Amino acid sequence: MTLSEADRQTLIPAIFYRDPKAAMTFLERAFGFETTMLIEDPNGGPDFHGQMQAGGSTLMIGREGSLAHTSPASVNGKNTQSLSLQIETDVDAHCARARAQGAEVFAEPETQFYGDRTYRCRDPEGHIWTIAQTVKVVTREEAEAATGLNITGWA
Amino acid sequence: MDHARPSVMVGICYRDPRAALAWLEAAFGFETSLLIEGPNGDVVHSQMNVGDGLIMVGPEWDDRHRSPAAIGGVNTQSAHVNLDEDIDAHCARARAAGAKIYSEPEDQFYGERLYGAYDVEGHQWIFSRLIKTLSLEEMSQAGGVTARDHL
Repeated sequence: MTLSEADRQTLIPAIFYRDPKAAMTFLERAFGFETTMLIEDPNGGPDFHGQMQAGGSTLMIGREGSLAHTSPASVNGKNTQSLSLQIETDVDAHCARARAQGAEVFAEPETQFYGDRTYRCRDPEGHIWTIAQTVKVVTREEAEAATGLNITGWA
Repeated sequence: MDHARPSVMVGICYRDPRAALAWLEAAFGFETSLLIEGPNGDVVHSQMNVGDGLIMVGPEWDDRHRSPAAIGGVNTQSAHVNLDEDIDAHCARARAAGAKIYSEPEDQFYGERLYGAYDVEGHQWIFSRLIKTLSLEEMSQAGGVTARDHL
């Protein structure tokens, strides 16, 4: 096996967990991600590198180990970055599955002004996820009217 | 909104998102593709293209979203950016714009040349170019680790 093309997507997020293996199991069960690579130290050392596929995108899963690699669980649930996942099918069913697997849903599925139906949740270590399904095409004018905000670059 | 968005997008918190947008453009060459501003000109939401990827540059909009600059340099997530251009030149440009290079450009056992940098508010970025395609066996041997693809 060589690295697949999907591993060469330009932007690959790396997310950090105290227990990255348990996190990968959660991400498989709750969100349906697939594990595509796992690198571990054969002697049980801290080295760890996981990769998962999420709807055609690659994510890296790492172990907490320094200031720049910290789980939200270690900083009172703070997130310096978060992830949005775009799905094609039933976001309500996705939410039900995630909740059943222990995700803490803090914003129930709701259709947003920009035409996506989204829900938001925290995973077991406190990473914040936004899951979105596009349900309606909204123009820039409609979005500006709905929000009273100035929008540049709305495609 | 368009339907060509990638399946995973990254939201990044900054104390000063407007300054961050300009800095990310100057230092890393990202392009602003969407800007949503409030009545006072504050950045409510913005998006930048990073190759075929998308980042959302936003403020610390609730208690759980914090810039590394606000919490002692902590990162709970970072970004690995694959480029198809001169890594050393990219690094030089970032450094000139004020990026803190914590790891100089260097060839890695898994076939990439990469460097690591902290941005203007302390987010960690890795920029990498594939220079040699290796099998998992070659990678395991070169790195002294166990790499598996059957899980």
